[in-house]
Amino acid sequence: MVNVLSCLLKRKVTADVTVRDEEIEALGREIRREVDAVFGGSLAIRELDTGSDNSAEIEINNLTNPYYDIERFGITFAASPRHADVLLVTGAVTHNMVAAAKKTYDAMPTPKFVVAVGDDACNGGIFAGSYAVLGGAEKIFPVDLKIMGNPPAPKEILAGLLALMRQAGRGR
Amino acid sequence: MNADESTGKHLVHELLGPGPLAEQVTEGCNGEWYVRVSGTEFLPLVTAFASRECALIGLFCTERFSPGAPFSLLYVFEKKGVLLVIVLDTAQSAPSIARLLPSACWPERECRDGFGIAFEGLFDERRLLLHETYPDDYYSLKKSVANVPPLMKPSVDPSEEYPFRSVQGDGVYQIPVGPVHAGIIEPGHFRFSVIGEKIFNLEVRMFYKHRGIEKLAERRLPEDVVRIAESVSGDESVVNTVAFCIAAEKIAGTHVPERAWALRTIFMELERIGSHLGDQAGMLVDVAFPLGASQFAVIREEVFRINALLTGSRFLRGMVVPGGISRDIRTEDLEALAQFVRQVRKRYRTGLKIVLSTASVIDRFSPTGVVRRSILRPLNITGPTSRASGGNGDVRVDHPYGIYSRHPPSVRTLHDGDVLSRFTVRASEILDSLDLIERLLTTLPEGTVKEAYDAKDGYTLSLVESARGQNLCWVWIRDGVVERYKVRTASYCNWLAIEHAVQGEIVPDFPLINKSLNLSYAGTDL
Repeated sequence: MVNVLSCLLKRKVTADVTVRDEEIEALGREIRREVDAVFGGSLAIRELDTGSDNSAEIEINNLTNPYYDIERFGITFAASPRHADVLLVTGAVTHNMVAAAKKTYDAMPTPKFVVAVGDDACNGGIFAGSYAVLGGAEKIFPVDLKIMGNPPAPKEILAGLLALMRQAGRGR
Repeated sequence: MNADESTGKHLVHELLGPGPLAEQVTEGCNGEWYVRVSGTEFLPLVTAFASRECALIGLFCTERFSPGAPFSLLYVFEKKGVLLVIVLDTAQSAPSIARLLPSACWPERECRDGFGIAFEGLFDERRLLLHETYPDDYYSLKKSVANVPPLMKPSVDPSEEYPFRSVQGDGVYQIPVGPVHAGIIEPGHFRFSVIGEKIFNLEVRMFYKHRGIEKLAERRLPEDVVRIAESVSGDESVVNTVAFCIAAEKIAGTHVPERAWALRTIFMELERIGSHLGDQAGMLVDVAFPLGASQFAVIREEVFRINALLTGSRFLRGMVVPGGISRDIRTEDLEALAQFVRQVRKRYRTGLKIVLSTASVIDRFSPTGVVRRSILRPLNITGPTSRASGGNGDVRVDHPYGIYSRHPPSVRTLHDGDVLSRFTVRASEILDSLDLIERLLTTLPEGTVKEAYDAKDGYTLSLVESARGQNLCWVWIRDGVVERYKVRTASYCNWLAIEHAVQGEIVPDFPLINKSLNLSYAGTDL
């Protein structure tokens, strides 16, 4: 068993966290450019789980680990939909979540964007047709971009957000 | 469940006492025991079980299981490594046993929502799986009900809204939280009754994510249910699939090759490490110590990456199938894993020292969110949460499956039951899992990784130890397809521990306590 007391009584320990993934750095630079050009320097995301198996949440959470650390690129996760530009939806929409999901969407200021993350959010995935779900996110609000995957990896989610910003930039 | 057969039978006889019941016991395909009881035998028997410290670890309903009875209720009891399933046939009602065995409360409500079974004397009659917008008299799991969305109520009258327990008194106020939370978290509702800063009562409402997993599996080939088992809870993809496959394989008498079991075990332990690291990082974020959190988050990302290297999936999906694993792993990738395990152990220990030598962390962790030992059995609390509160159960030891009988983990038990104990138990388990993976890699048997699987009809129970604790599944295959797939993850039981653990704590400690219990919403709501 790990001995807490001996650790606490010994000398204070510290160490660096040194990680770098060049592919992410390159993707991040492009994202930074689009965030600055299209969203005035910051893109705020509100995550909404309407019935996922939690793997997509884990991958979205991973975007904040030191390998990705996406706040560097101007993307933040907002605690309230009222502060959000983008709604990142995971999971098929369950009947039990419909009301809360709609309220979350309605609480966002316009212009707003919806991105479906993972197969279940994109089209219901294996849950399409189940008695307990309505289907993909587009059953309850318009979806601007779909990022397929079971679940999509953090890199794929980032690439999707980049595509969304380019799409939004073209529409201006 | 390879417990010595005669010892098991002896214990079952001892539990049932002398009389006709003991004669009627039959053994299931996976070492569990079944006995059918009449309505008059049922309550006295269950009362005796409750007084003899048996845990009720599962309760579910199935249709047309017994000739002449529309429904059968299966009550799974565990004592000293023996699993005894009591079968109670019924037309539509049964006595509630939730006052005797509190772990029956949610399952009884679930059987009522799913099958319309009336439990006489059930003290909590509120809906569970199907929230208020579902039509009245709609029972989703009945065979006569098609798996299509019903006509939902367009709106819910305030009188039909879910009644939370009301706590009143001087200075008591309520904080409703969720289902949509502030962080990147799954949905669920928490209703706090608070006095000043202190939590007086917490009530949890779940099942917002109810996706109909069990019904989805019905009438499908066992091979096709793998994808559904993987979706029960994303971070338990491997272990829930293994549980399902064990059941299917035991029913069919399939012999899984040694190499497949070794690789399955490596995957299960990698999954456990990933899950524990995520909790530990999350707990440290919640006490505002990002330096420590980053250490563990980095290692966790690397675990995901090694998972992807080995299997093409960061969640190790698509590997476990009935009969073994879908394909072998390349030697060079296994070498990369061995190298990773070696270097990561040292870094993990450094991370631990950083965290545990920081007084402000220990101050927040201890003695916060205590889960008392006395609630473990009544609520069937399992996993690291139980082991941090003096429990010593671990399915890998109590009902070893696959090759765990040859590689039994050390059961790491602490007694304080607080956040620090849960953190420390997980730390020890991560180091143990790394050791086990290393051992398995050096002794990896050669040979095939998949045996032909031919579905056969039958039913059985399967238990596995996920990162969160004891996961149970019961599979019944009929005419070569799945007739009933019952899943009950550790989270389903452990969720109720949080209502006890937060009492008397301050609201700002709630996220930390929640994280330290590491509960899956998806794995609960199904």
